[in-house]
Amino acid sequence: MAKDGLSALWGALKRPSTKYSLLTLLLGGFAAGVFFWGSFNTALEATNTMDFCISCHEMHDNVYQEYKKTIHYSNRTGVRATCPDCHVPKDWTHKMMRKVQASAEVWGKITGSISTPEKFEAKRLELAEHEWARMKATDSRECRNCHSFEGMDTDKQKLRGAKMHKIAQDEKKTCIDCHKGIAHKKPKGMKEDDDE
Amino acid sequence: MKKTLISVALTGLVLGLAAQAANAAPDWSKVAKRDINVFHTGVAPIEWITKKSDHSGTVGMRKGETCIGCHEEKGTLNFDFKRLAGKDLEPKAPPKTMMYPVAVQAAYDKDNLYLRLSFKAPAGGADASDKDNEVKAAVMFADAKVPQGAQVGCWATCHADARTMPGADDKKTKYTKEGAYELMQWKSAKGAKAVDGSVSDTRKMEGGTAGVKAEGAKSGDAYTVTFTRKNPGEGKAVPFGIAIHADHATGRFHHVSLGYTLGIGAEGDVKAAKQ
Repeated sequence: MAKDGLSALWGALKRPSTKYSLLTLLLGGFAAGVFFWGSFNTALEATNTMDFCISCHEMHDNVYQEYKKTIHYSNRTGVRATCPDCHVPKDWTHKMMRKVQASAEVWGKITGSISTPEKFEAKRLELAEHEWARMKATDSRECRNCHSFEGMDTDKQKLRGAKMHKIAQDEKKTCIDCHKGIAHKKPKGMKEDDDE
Repeated sequence: MKKTLISVALTGLVLGLAAQAANAAPDWSKVAKRDINVFHTGVAPIEWITKKSDHSGTVGMRKGETCIGCHEEKGTLNFDFKRLAGKDLEPKAPPKTMMYPVAVQAAYDKDNLYLRLSFKAPAGGADASDKDNEVKAAVMFADAKVPQGAQVGCWATCHADARTMPGADDKKTKYTKEGAYELMQWKSAKGAKAVDGSVSDTRKMEGGTAGVKAEGAKSGDAYTVTFTRKNPGEGKAVPFGIAIHADHATGRFHHVSLGYTLGIGAEGDVKAAKQ
C-alpha cells in the first residue's frame, strides 16, 4: 500500500503539469529556493555569533570568562574579535565543513563531556590541541583575516615582538606557532613542538 | 717605650696609606654610570626560559639572542609585569615594586676590578625572612664554560628545584650544570663579611678566589655598595648579573638583572674605566 502511494507520488512528480504554467512553476520554485536558502543561512548565521556560543554554560563559564580579560575582547580601539572570528572560517565552503565538524561538539554537549569546570580542565589540553592543529593546517587563516606580516610595522612593536616577528617571517612560521593561550588560559602539560 | 709605640703606629699608618695608594679606589664622580634595571622575575627559572610553550623567545635564544637583546629598550625592560606578578608565575605574592634601576659603575687597575652599585632599595617586599639583613647586593660572573653564559646572565644557576621555589627542597641551593660562576655579595648587617664565593654544582658562600671586599653605605633609602675584587684580566668582556635582596628578602624573592657584559679594556654593556 505504502509502495503504491510512493509510486503515485513519483508518477505525479514526473508527469508534466497541466494545471500550472511554466512561469508559475519557475516563479514558485524560485521563491521556494530563496525561502529555503535564506532560512538555512539565517539559521547558520544565528549559530555563528558569540551570543549563541556562550548560551551553553560550558563556553560561558570557562573560555568566555578567560577571553573577556584579553585584548581580543577589550582594547583601545574597540575592535573586537568574537568567538566565530577566530574559530569559524569566513568563506562558505570551509565554514560548512567546520559546522559539520561541530556536530560532534553537540554530542559532547549531550553526553556532558565538559559539563563541569573539573571536566573542562581535564579536557582543556586535548581541545586546545585540536584547535591549534586546525589553525596550523590553515596557516592561521582566521588570525590572518585581520593580521598580516605585510601590514605589520615592526618598528612600532616592542623589541621582543619585533625580533620574533622577523624570525617568524624568515622561517615561514605561522601565528599559532607562538601565539597559543592568547585568548584563553594556556593548558597545563603542553607538549613541546616536534619541529624545534 | 713610648717612642717605640709611636714609631710602630707611624709605620702602620704609612704602610696603610701605601697599600691604599696601590689599590686606590677610583674617583667615582668621573666614572660613567650605566642604569641596569633589576626586577622580580616570579617563578621563571632556566627551565621556564628554555621551554618554548612558556617563553616563545626560546626560539631567539637558540639563535644566540641575548635576554637584553629582546627585553631591554628605551631605558626599561619590556616585560609583561602583570604576568610576572600574576598567580601563575608568582604563587606567593609579588613585591610592591616589580622593577627599579641600579646605577652601575666599574673601573679597573692592574690588580683590581672595582664595581659600584647605587640604588634605592624599595620597601613592600613579599618575603621578609632574612631578619639580619635589610639589604643584600650580589654580583655573579659566569665563566666561559657556562652554557649560554654570555646570553642569560645568572639564569643558568636558577632552577625550578632550588630552595624557595614552589615545592622545592629547602636545602638545595642554586647550581649550574656546566661551568661555574664567581659570586660576590655585600650584606647590610653590621659587621657582616663580604661574600667571596662561587656557584658550580652547588653554591658556596666562601672559598672564592676573587679576593672580594665590599663596602656599603646607606643614605636615606639610597644604598651605595662598592666591591673590590681581583681583576679578571684586561681585554676581556666578562658576563655578569646583579641581584638585590631588598626589604629583608631571601632566596628567590630578589630583584635581578638580566645578563650583561662588563668590558675590562674591551667593549661591553658596562665599560670599566681604566685607572
